[in-house]
Amino acid sequence: MYHNPKIPEGINSTKENPLKEFSILLLGTIALVVIVSLILGFSGSWLAGKIPFSAEVKIASMYDITQYTDSNEHPRLAQYLQSLVDKISKAQNLPEEMKITAHYMDSDTVNAFATIGGNLFIYRGLLEKVPNENTLVTLLGHEIGHVKYRHPIKSLGRGVAVAIAMTTITGSTDSQIMGDAGLLTTLQFSREMEKQADEEAMYTLQSLYGHINGGAELFRIFQNMRQEMETDEPSELFSTHPLDQHRIDNISIMAKKNNWKETGNLSPLPDFFQEEINSYLNQ
Amino acid sequence: MIMEQLLITIVLVALGYFFGRRAENKHIKSIIEREAVMNQLPAMAGRFPPQNGKYHQQLVSGSVVIANDYFKTFVAGLRNLFGGKITAYETLLDRARREAVLRMKQEAQSLGAELIFNVKYETSNISGQYNKRMPVIEVHAYGTALMEYSTK
Repeated sequence: MYHNPKIPEGINSTKENPLKEFSILLLGTIALVVIVSLILGFSGSWLAGKIPFSAEVKIASMYDITQYTDSNEHPRLAQYLQSLVDKISKAQNLPEEMKITAHYMDSDTVNAFATIGGNLFIYRGLLEKVPNENTLVTLLGHEIGHVKYRHPIKSLGRGVAVAIAMTTITGSTDSQIMGDAGLLTTLQFSREMEKQADEEAMYTLQSLYGHINGGAELFRIFQNMRQEMETDEPSELFSTHPLDQHRIDNISIMAKKNNWKETGNLSPLPDFFQEEINSYLNQ
Repeated sequence: MIMEQLLITIVLVALGYFFGRRAENKHIKSIIEREAVMNQLPAMAGRFPPQNGKYHQQLVSGSVVIANDYFKTFVAGLRNLFGGKITAYETLLDRARREAVLRMKQEAQSLGAELIFNVKYETSNISGQYNKRMPVIEVHAYGTALMEYSTK
């Protein structure tokens, strides 16, 4: 009579702990994702830098930027910001077609940012803390510096390249590659970009006023704000902006290198400035 | 938002690992024990039963439905990037096939069979068309049981 043999173990299945395979695969995947993002991010950013500014303006016009700005309710302030922006553009020798537009945003956020198409957004929260024109010029000069070196489009190019890669790898189709929110929130500049923009801001200060007094004040505002919020400054490794103190130190180093004066008369802000930014209190 | 999703995934993978592994080890142990007992009833793939007129035949079958755990799905998903054998699924299917045969033998035993001939397996995916769902698989084993005519 026929007898079934005892089935030997470990032929069709393995006794090996699945955690071993899991960790190898996980590490491999992370390495793959990191390498692919780095390569694609770099190429995306490089390619995007080749896009002419006129095309960048067209990309920006796909978004209805006017819905975010409160410039129309504050024409005097908007005009003043625009006139400063035009002055700075000239001082930074921006190419003819690179037109910078300032947008005032009536919100408590302490921030300002540059985005594609030469659009600058400046929040009331930050303007409230600006003590004089020199500091305001530093802020605007920094953001215009981003546009001058094409940082917003480079950053967008990097983001799009990485998003496409991740969508391909993970196979998910629900992530928005160029969503509406992406324009306003996800533009992350690298630390080198921030440093470049800082330096451009200092050149602007020097060429407009003949000294760089008031420049460091901008970074002190951010420093104080972080201290107020009692959040510890993130360690430099994880932060895209160089640490505030570093930026202040860099200014002194630059000033010494270029023989710039660190003292000088500060220009006041126009009379209507406070009135305009406080107008929300009366509503 | 991303952190939350990451946390949920980690918890699901950890739960899948601990409970999936516990259940699997328990199941393998039970399979080995039952196989040792059931070996007295041989099952074979041959298509021709003994033609000596001593036996009558009947179809016997055993089927099992197995669901995957989140850990295995996750590992298999990672494996899809690189290619290669998905050992997590191999173990799962091995268990399912052996369990199906054991159930088939159980049915045959209750009929008083001495042999099972012409044993075949069928495997079907019953998790539906959505590839995001976890795989649920049915393994069905069937064969011809041979019972001796009662020698009354």
